[in-house]
Amino acid sequence: MKVVKFLLSLLITVTLIYLLDNRWVVNGNPVPPLGKFLDPFHGFWRNLERNQNRAPLDEFTVPGLKGKVTIILDSLAIPHLFAENDEDLYFAQGYVTAMHRLWQMELQTHAAAGRVSEIVGPVGLNNDRYMRRLGMGFGAEQALQLMQSNPTARMIVEQYTNGINAYIATLNDQNLPFEYKLLDYKPERWTPLKCALVLMNMSRLLNMGDKDIEMTNALKLFGKDAIALLYPDHEMEEDPVVDKPGGWNFDPIKLDTVPLAVPDELIALHKMPGSDPDNGSNNWAVAGSKTKTGSPILCGDPHLTLSLPSIWYVLQMNAPGVNTMGASLPGAPGIVIGFTDSVAWSITNAQRDLVDWFKIKYFDDKREKYFLDDGWVHTRKVVERFVVRGQQDVYDTIVYTHWGPVTYDRNFHGENNLNDYSFRWTAHHVGEELMTLYKLNRARNHADYMEALDHFASPGQNFVFASVSGDVAMRVQAKYPVRRKNEGKFVLDGTKSSEGWQAFIPNAHNVMDKNPARGFVSSANQYPADSSYPYYITAPEYETYRNRRINQVLRESGDITVEDMMKLQNDNYNLKAAESVPVFLSYLDSTLFNAEERDAYTILKSWNYFNDVESMGASYYEAWLNNLEPLVWDEMESEKLDLARPTIYNTIKLIKEKPDLIFFDLQQTAEKETAKDIVQKAFSLAVEDIADWKAEHPNTEPGWADFKDSYIGHLLRLQPLSVHVRAPGNSDIVNALSKTHGPSWRMVVSLEKTGLKAWGVYPGGQSGNPGSRFYSNLIDRWTKGQYYQFSFLHKPEDLKSSTSLVFIPAEQ
Amino acid sequence: MKFAIQTIAISLTALILELFLPWYGIALAAFTFGYSLKSNANFLAGFIGITLTWGFQILRLDLQAATELTQSVASIVGLKEKYQLIVITLLLGGLIGGMAALTGSLLNQERKYSH
Repeated sequence: MKVVKFLLSLLITVTLIYLLDNRWVVNGNPVPPLGKFLDPFHGFWRNLERNQNRAPLDEFTVPGLKGKVTIILDSLAIPHLFAENDEDLYFAQGYVTAMHRLWQMELQTHAAAGRVSEIVGPVGLNNDRYMRRLGMGFGAEQALQLMQSNPTARMIVEQYTNGINAYIATLNDQNLPFEYKLLDYKPERWTPLKCALVLMNMSRLLNMGDKDIEMTNALKLFGKDAIALLYPDHEMEEDPVVDKPGGWNFDPIKLDTVPLAVPDELIALHKMPGSDPDNGSNNWAVAGSKTKTGSPILCGDPHLTLSLPSIWYVLQMNAPGVNTMGASLPGAPGIVIGFTDSVAWSITNAQRDLVDWFKIKYFDDKREKYFLDDGWVHTRKVVERFVVRGQQDVYDTIVYTHWGPVTYDRNFHGENNLNDYSFRWTAHHVGEELMTLYKLNRARNHADYMEALDHFASPGQNFVFASVSGDVAMRVQAKYPVRRKNEGKFVLDGTKSSEGWQAFIPNAHNVMDKNPARGFVSSANQYPADSSYPYYITAPEYETYRNRRINQVLRESGDITVEDMMKLQNDNYNLKAAESVPVFLSYLDSTLFNAEERDAYTILKSWNYFNDVESMGASYYEAWLNNLEPLVWDEMESEKLDLARPTIYNTIKLIKEKPDLIFFDLQQTAEKETAKDIVQKAFSLAVEDIADWKAEHPNTEPGWADFKDSYIGHLLRLQPLSVHVRAPGNSDIVNALSKTHGPSWRMVVSLEKTGLKAWGVYPGGQSGNPGSRFYSNLIDRWTKGQYYQFSFLHKPEDLKSSTSLVFIPAEQ
Repeated sequence: MKFAIQTIAISLTALILELFLPWYGIALAAFTFGYSLKSNANFLAGFIGITLTWGFQILRLDLQAATELTQSVASIVGLKEKYQLIVITLLLGGLIGGMAALTGSLLNQERKYSH
């Protein structure tokens, strides 16, 4: 009897420990290993950081260093690295970045490599397969090869990698970052390939917008004239990035114009998402002639999906020959947007059509050969292995042709009509982006900046520049293919190599400008050049509002101060509304109004077109547009096909100028509607939406910030770790903060001869640990449009009352 | 008296073992003193012993915490209030401690019986 009791008790105890030591999936919901996770000595409790400063001096031995590295952590936990040589500098950058952001770096590179299902199980598989089928790893491998063939680039990635791995070596069950404990896994060793994946991921986020398949369908359904009307190559030539008619002094590359076959097909396929058009940015630099101090001021704010841990990690890097500070991307060595003692730079996305789809003609069902030019050519089949948590491995065969991977086929999104298209993307054809950063981080003048940019291929960016010596400049840089007119707008014939890119625009022919007469340079993702630029340019879409507002303000301003520039970065003027609300209101028939509609009309009529926090006009306008676009473009909604809506700029233009256009007719109704009817209908629906919102939010006015409800989401989409903010702005507004996207970093640099000064802020904090006071501490000032002035040090002693970490090399 | 000594022995040993062993080191502590310092309420001694150790550590960490991560974790696991998470944590630790101490004491009886 006693034996039975003992054995039973033992069994229960051991079973309990086993259950609580492992992760389970209950009804599809993951449950962390509760014993491990809740144990106050090893579990998440250990990630609760104390609300007090670290010891003022912390010395420790770090294997892998050549000399001593001093790291000053300032009051915002921004590290200022002081190293004796470049090798140690990149090692230290890897170490401190991992110290604050390891989990995020690893998750983002896993995502880019299509390996998230290793962590989260089958729910990650579809996206993982998509990443592999886009050739993310394929591109990263090629970038890595190029890095390793350049001794400097090789040193940078290897030392950065060593630094990250030195930090990983210090981890144990207690100090493991929070999310590893929650998801129950451990970090793996960092590799240089992961650095290449971080850069590939930026190309995907920024330079993978495309609508070739959608346009092909539109061509078949609506015809050539409709295409020209709905999807013009660019919507207006006002205010391009560089406006210097007749100023393009070079002989452009001319291609023998082979007439491109216009496709005649409907492609039944639902594509996975490409780059989000809300991933845009602003940047500008004003010359000393327009500023109060007489020195240039440079500004930049990149717009991305806002997330926590923050997208950017700020640091200063100092070693003999280099002193630079600014925002870095966790996982990529160097400063991406920032300044040195002598210059500053920032970037905005310079999208173009960089994606093509080539229709493949296979020899037979085996897909081993395809037709190219005058014969059958072998495909390359790559078998991708997916490790899926809690499940057997999954294998996927991806066919590569001369053009690139065949993304969608019978194995992936087989709902298509099994026409195979090979995906060609400039990001598969690599550059030396790390060398660009290496040289920019050491730049002293305009010539250094130009040389640094020559290495840069992808993602295409507008690089704004200013120097203490007084220059301001802009350069649109990427490896852009030379396009024939209309090339790449539709799917292409993959059996002829003449359909592909024949040449790339030489760097010297790229769009650029230096010290223009107007006294400033600026970019906001708009069309890059005036109409005299000799190369054909097309893109899925170009921005048309932020650029004009920025340029208008800069043109009208003189004696500009740093505060003026901060104000402009946070400008909430809604140019789109100013150009559309008067016309929309004039289309309304007020005799049809109910009481609520009459109120809404009054609110909109008296609105000043600023998307301020309390503005109700902004809420009504947004609700109006949200109802208007689906009504106007009901022709673009199809269960079987992908079609693209024209841009909002063009939509408004057509409503104003062609109110009788056939597209305004609703397909579902027997009557024949015009733009006026649609505008009225959308207005009524918008007023109903606002009424619904009011019912859900009793005692709250539908002010803009509450109606919009912007939030900064945790990467795991965990609500309790996300932050909601009451903030102004919206997309198409200079302060481009929409519900989920916005300025992920704001920087203003005054390049004064007596010493460069810099300010910045971003929605988050330096630490990726939700248990740290540096996780989200910058959000408050960011929401209010306020900034922190950075301490840009020349030696470690320059900053009093801070924390120092000193790394001492281990004895060899 | 014996119960109090047993409880304190479990609590202190668990504290030390937590520094070297994974979380289930607490079971080893409770088992050992369930066996060697057997009282007439072994489950309770293990339960209270571990609850004390874990409670002490939670108090130490949570009172000085810079953020409301405890509340966030409570929400992530579907609880409303942070104290509910603390109670569940203590119940889990207590349960393992209690069962391990009980198992130890039963082994002691078993050995006595068979000799």
